[in-house]
Amino acid sequence: MRRRLSSRLFATYLFLAMWIGASGCGSSSPESKNSGGAAHSKRTVCLLPKIKGISYFTSCHRGAVEAADELGDIELIYDGPIDGDPKKQAEMIEQWTVDGVDVICVAPNAPDVVANAMREARAAGIHVITWDADGTADSRSFFVNQATAESIGRGMVKAMVDDLGPDAEGDVVIISSDATSANQNAWIDVMKPALAESRLRLATIKYPGENASNALADAKDVLQKYEALKGIFGISSVAFPGAAEGVEQAGKSGQVLVTGLSTPNDMRRYVKNGTVKSVVLWNTIDLGYLTVRVASALARGDLKEGATTFDAGRLGTLRVVGDHVVLGDIIVFTRDNIDQYDF
Amino acid sequence: MGVRGRRTRLPRSVPSWFRSGHRELGLCLLIAAVLVGIGMVDPRFHSTGTWNDLLVRSAPTMIVACGVTLVVLTGEIDVSVGSQMAFLAAILGTMVSRTEWNLSPWIGLPATLAAGAAIGMLNGILVTIGRVPSIVATLGVMTALRGATTWMMGGSNIEGLPDALTRAAKQGLFRAGPPLGVVVAAGTAFVCYLLLHHMPLGRHLYAVGGGREAARLAGLSEIRLKWFAFAVTGFLVALATIVDVPRLPKIEAGIGVDFELLVITCVVVGGVSISGGRGRLGGVLLAVLLMTLIRPVLTFLEIGESGEKWAKAVQGVMILAAVLSDRAASRGVRREP
Amino acid sequence: MRRAERRRSPFAWWHEGALLALLVALLGIASVCVPSFLRLENQLLLSRHLWEMAILAIGMTMIVITGGIDLSVGSMMGLCAVTLGMTYAATSSIAAGCLACLAVGIACGALNGLLITRVRVHPLIVTLATMAAFRGVAEGISQGRAYSRFGEPFAVLARGGPGGVPWPGVFFLVMAGIGALILGRTAVGRFLYAIGNNERAARFAGIAVDRVKFGLYTFSGLLAAMATIVYSARFDTAKADAGKGMELDVITAVVVGGTSIFGGRGNLGGTVLGLLLIHETRLFIGRYWKIDELRSIVVGILLIASVLIYRMLARTEDRA
Repeated sequence: MRRRLSSRLFATYLFLAMWIGASGCGSSSPESKNSGGAAHSKRTVCLLPKIKGISYFTSCHRGAVEAADELGDIELIYDGPIDGDPKKQAEMIEQWTVDGVDVICVAPNAPDVVANAMREARAAGIHVITWDADGTADSRSFFVNQATAESIGRGMVKAMVDDLGPDAEGDVVIISSDATSANQNAWIDVMKPALAESRLRLATIKYPGENASNALADAKDVLQKYEALKGIFGISSVAFPGAAEGVEQAGKSGQVLVTGLSTPNDMRRYVKNGTVKSVVLWNTIDLGYLTVRVASALARGDLKEGATTFDAGRLGTLRVVGDHVVLGDIIVFTRDNIDQYDF
Repeated sequence: MGVRGRRTRLPRSVPSWFRSGHRELGLCLLIAAVLVGIGMVDPRFHSTGTWNDLLVRSAPTMIVACGVTLVVLTGEIDVSVGSQMAFLAAILGTMVSRTEWNLSPWIGLPATLAAGAAIGMLNGILVTIGRVPSIVATLGVMTALRGATTWMMGGSNIEGLPDALTRAAKQGLFRAGPPLGVVVAAGTAFVCYLLLHHMPLGRHLYAVGGGREAARLAGLSEIRLKWFAFAVTGFLVALATIVDVPRLPKIEAGIGVDFELLVITCVVVGGVSISGGRGRLGGVLLAVLLMTLIRPVLTFLEIGESGEKWAKAVQGVMILAAVLSDRAASRGVRREP
Repeated sequence: MRRAERRRSPFAWWHEGALLALLVALLGIASVCVPSFLRLENQLLLSRHLWEMAILAIGMTMIVITGGIDLSVGSMMGLCAVTLGMTYAATSSIAAGCLACLAVGIACGALNGLLITRVRVHPLIVTLATMAAFRGVAEGISQGRAYSRFGEPFAVLARGGPGGVPWPGVFFLVMAGIGALILGRTAVGRFLYAIGNNERAARFAGIAVDRVKFGLYTFSGLLAAMATIVYSARFDTAKADAGKGMELDVITAVVVGGTSIFGGRGNLGGTVLGLLLIHETRLFIGRYWKIDELRSIVVGILLIASVLIYRMLARTEDRA
């Protein structure tokens, strides 16, 4: 009897110990300082990416850290769903709202899904801004506008048409993410009419999801299928390198052009070997930097509705149009200028 | 309302080869029908380019499905192979990449294989000695490993694998010759086939899955056999990682997402009984081929832009039809509770 | 059968005791680390992360007790959400949308039940296949579109509620109460345990196994539709990706709650504790460390550890 009881107790305590051990293993991390509203000397800024763990958002984070270090009174929290689930984004916003942070900067992966949580955060007196992609109008006070869906979609089509030459005819294919991906669908809605104005025909749209093997496979399949294929748009962080790799492996570098959105570091190899002529993006480090600058100004009350200019530290004075803080236009990275950028 | 009450006779129209046990033939005919059909729609499908790529693409699924088949035959399941692949890719990349530790592949590759076998052994220990049901244990490992991989990689990618590795994966070991993945997949399938169908060890695996008590009475060690199956799976995931990941543009934390679903679907469509003890490797290999065919076939069918959004539905309905068809055909022949 | 249950109970209570101790320990640590963690209004507000999972867990517990599993609940939510959205877009009546959603949920569940009982394929295989099929059909018919702006009365469903308890919570408590009553006090409940313990024996004992199972999977479909309504109200959006990955979360909660994946053992009380433990663990990590990777690492370890410990407890009992 005694042995039975003691082994049960032992098991229970082992369970406890394992659990506490498991949750305690992160306690040495630098972010472990609790931010629960007690530290008023520092302002807490939460930076919420669409997906945590991909290089695009990691480079934005670099810029954000730079700004936070410069400003000195910012406690920066960078967290987001590792699987890119917009539902989890909304839940993180709700948790931060309860924590009473000062500013929440959201890169909405699906503007509709996070809108309610953002409105509630605003109602609780928290400044909410969007960056990277805009949310619904009443869910945020400012949008750090590096590019709109309109300019991204048109920019990609323009890059393709410019690279192929204005008289080029033939097929193009879009490789997207999932059929339900809100951002990609918004870009596609812009790209379709833009393509209709050119002489290129949109042959099909493939949906490989966030799966690199599928993206590579889809690229190779469309290369085999469409003989008149002139270009592929890879419009997710997985699809673009996947499409470029597919074209390179098929030995069609230079014959079929690939373009899309990506950080220069991820695509440098393909730009150098001619598979990709143009990479469309913006300066992600500046984007992260500006987002934290705007967040800080909002928290201090330096940035108010109706402002027309914004002093953005090392970026100089930027325009504010309506409720958009304008970072500048998209950058097209080519073989000539890509080595000037490291992110 | 007993067992007997509902037993129905086999309809005459169902050909006998389609009864359970003849899954391979059914799959063969299905694949042949798909190939002939797509050949009529667009003859360019049957080019060396497409076929070569098809085999390369199916290689990792085939390698890992061999291992998972062993596990399922013993009556267990492994749903952690996708996360394992991401974790092992991160380990491989960290060790051999030019931008990371830059170790020689002669150190990196054995270490990756050892790490794979170790994860498999961990699964095996949890299931056999810890007596945690395998679906629970490997589900936990799947969740935890995905988180651990993302954490380890810290949000950046790994590039710059040694040229020898990428060349072997993309073009083959020598100037000509098939890519490494195809060779390894063929080798793995051959060894596993010999093991399962021509060696005592294979019979023992079947025995453990078919009837635990009988196997025990026959003097077989259930623990050791299951442990072996899980360790082999881990090792094969490492092998698949080595031959397949260098084909991809970069190593990222999201590698192998949903891979476990694909592999298990192949094993199930291949006719291996999920409760263990029944099924053959040949069916699984054919199922891998069939599942790999779906994506390119849909592309070549030109189902159009709105059709592409039905692609997942087509895939789902095909899986459903495949797992139901031969059971529906074999009703009355053999039933399982 | 009563005697058998009584003999089983010491196991169950030990497991639940351990879960409760763990929950208390967690809440204790959390309230020290995050001072506002235990505040009732915060807990009630953040409880909305839980309700869809909790509603699904009622059906999943019963299914797992019979030795089955339903992997398609998440995809059923996708199909239900699309139905709700499209019906609302066509009729602009949210009641019609909800009714259609419930009908589709029941139909999906019934399809699972039919395939499992009539064609006799293992539930794991049937629902693995329907998981892919339902999600695909949802994407196909909706073409990936999102349906949004369901109007104020619907939004209140997720936000308001009597005395601060949100309506989905009230709804869950009612459903869980009914479920616990069925499991503990009715013949059907005993049938479920009997099927899980030994299906063949249950058949020979004259239990209408097929009818019970069919009803059970249909019920799971109904719950998926209800979870969809809660989900759509919470986000004011209905899209084909609703409930993605939810099946694994729900199964994790049910298993942590002490229900045996082999069937025959478990109860809703344990599931509620399992749900709470996972929910509070996630909240704690989300509010204290704010590292999403850590959430999945800890939940994965928690899942394995809880079963490992139960097995250790059971083994000592075996020996005694």
